[in-house]
This record gives sequence, C-alpha cells and structure tokens, in this order.
Amino acid sequence: MEELDLLKKDWKKSENSFEQLSEKDIYKMIHQKSSSVVKWILIISLIELSIGILLNVLSLESDFFNKIDAKGYTIYIEVLTIVNYAVILFFVYKFFKNYKTISSTDSTKKLMDDIISTRKTVQYYIWYNLIMIAISAFLGSYVALSITEETKDIALDSSFRFIFYLTCILVVGILVFLFWLFYILLYGRLLKKLFNNYNELKKIDL
Amino acid sequence: MSANLEKSFIQQLRDNQNIIHKICKLYTSDADSHKDLFQEITIQLWKAFPKFRGEAKFSTWAYRVALNTAITLYRKSTRSIQTTSSEKLNFFISQEEYNTEEEEQLKLMYKAVYKLNDIEKALVFMHLEDKDYTEIATTLGISEVNARVKMNRIKGKLKKILNP
Repeated sequence: MEELDLLKKDWKKSENSFEQLSEKDIYKMIHQKSSSVVKWILIISLIELSIGILLNVLSLESDFFNKIDAKGYTIYIEVLTIVNYAVILFFVYKFFKNYKTISSTDSTKKLMDDIISTRKTVQYYIWYNLIMIAISAFLGSYVALSITEETKDIALDSSFRFIFYLTCILVVGILVFLFWLFYILLYGRLLKKLFNNYNELKKIDL
Repeated sequence: MSANLEKSFIQQLRDNQNIIHKICKLYTSDADSHKDLFQEITIQLWKAFPKFRGEAKFSTWAYRVALNTAITLYRKSTRSIQTTSSEKLNFFISQEEYNTEEEEQLKLMYKAVYKLNDIEKALVFMHLEDKDYTEIATTLGISEVNARVKMNRIKGKLKKILNP
C-alpha cells in the first residue's frame, strides 16, 4: 500500500518535531498521581469491600440475633458467622492477589484479562453479600415468625405471612436493582473503553 | 526507591521520550490530552521500572507499557474531543517539503488512521515503527498469524476510507 509507505516516511521524519521534555519535567511527572482505570478500580473495590464487612459486622451485632441466641440457635449462628467471615477473607485475599498481578508490562491481552478478573472477584463478592442478605432476611423472618411468643399468633395468619414474605422479596429485589444500576452507571462508564478494546482483541484471535 | 534508580529512569526516559510522544500523537487529538496521556504513561513506566531488569532494551519495554497504557489504562478526559481538524493535521505532517499532491495524500492518510479503533491503531503504530509480526503479536498477546491477517485487513480498511 503506497499511501502507507508515504505515511511511514513522514512518520520517521516527524520524530524530531516533538517538544522535548527536560529531566526536571520528567521528575515532576513521576511524582504525580496516576489516574488510570486500575487506580479507580482499586478505590471503588476497597469501598465495596469495606461496606460488605461493615454490613456483616452490623448485622451480627444486632439485637435480633441475641434474642435468637436464647432460643437455642447459637450453634447455627456461630457456624454461619465463621463461614461468612472465612468467605469474605477469601474474597479480600483473592482481590489483593489479583490486583498485584496487574502489570502494564504484560501483553495487552494479559493486562486486560487481569483487570477483568480483579473486577470479577469484587463482583462475586457483592453477589455473595446480596445472596447472604436475602438468605438471612428469609431465615431471620421465618425464625422470628415461628418461635417468639409475641409473634406466635400473627404468624399463623396466612395472609399476614404472605404480605410479610412479599415485603421481604420486594426489599431484596430493590436492593439487587440498585446494585445493578450502580454497576451499569459506574463500571459502564469506567470500563467501556477497556471492554470495547478487549472484544476487538478477542475478535482478532478467533 | 533509591535515588539512583530514579536518576537512571529519568535519563533513559528523556532519551526515549519520542516513543511516548508518538503514541500520544496517535491516540489523542489535542495538546492537553497529549500531555495527560504522556504523564500517565510516564507514571506507569516508573511504577513498572523496578521490574525492568534490562533483559530487553529500554525502548522495547517502553513500547509495551506505553501502548498498554494508551489502550487499556488511560481514561480519556472529558475535555478531549474526537475531531481531527485540518489544523491538527497540518501540525502532524512534518515540516519537510512535499509536493501538494503528496501532502494532500498524507493528510487524508492521517485522517484515515484516526478513524481506526485503538487496537488497529496499535498495529499501525508498530508497523510504522518497523516492528516485525513476532513483536506485534507478543505485545498485544495475539498469535502471529492473526496479527498478520489483521494488518492486511487494516490496510484494506484504510483503502476503503481513502476511496469510498
């Protein structure tokens, strides 16, 4: 393609047309903060991780579980708590391990893979939390309805039960929707370019 | 990081800065974005520098980090606009003397390259830099055969843009 050769010729000549930076300029630059996609992913992920942990701590500290403790459910709650923390620790460990492997010196495809897999870890973590919230909401309400003295009477009322569970489903549904919206808006914007280029690269290698 | 490491990095970057300038030229369309991207690439290079052991040439290594930053890590600031004015095209073409026909052709060619997507630009960039397909393939993380096929497709695409 002769136009490309012409371009190449000009490209080589343009080598000397750039304003050259001094060592001082470069020194200043390397002491600036990065604003890369990875930096933003780290910040957002840390916020998500801490919100998840906070939610867990708060729900375990709540009065509700203390009440149930007295009813002989202690062992289940404890097992659930330990499993829950183990899973969260695993996610946090996995996140940092993934994050560390992100390196701009790898091939473009590998770099993109690493970023996406780091993102996915946090996404799974969020889904895990949502599912746990849903399960605890249903279990908690079931237990509350069946065993406490104060609720025994209304718990038997089937229309009350229906409304109660419907509310639970609605609340969890709204929560899932909000998270979904959050993801579309936040990561849609942040990672649009990355995903476009990732798909483009994958298309080449089909 | 030690002062020696920093000094050595700054010197090598100063000597190889045209690599970064050229990538910025291809991936941005105004002076502000050029500066933004240049800075981000410099930061990424500096962050990765402790891992650079000198098995490869500094320039080879810098190509990869710079391209990866432009394609993957860099977030275009909202102020950058995607248009390529003829003024900018004039700025791009080196100050050499060309006959009018050649200059016109060059302008059209630059304009066509700007219409390519980020990955295609990367291939064109490495082609302009005389990189072989082995290096293009390892840099992008695709197979050599596919890099070759893609480059041929890009040539076809450019032709189509030039002669619609």
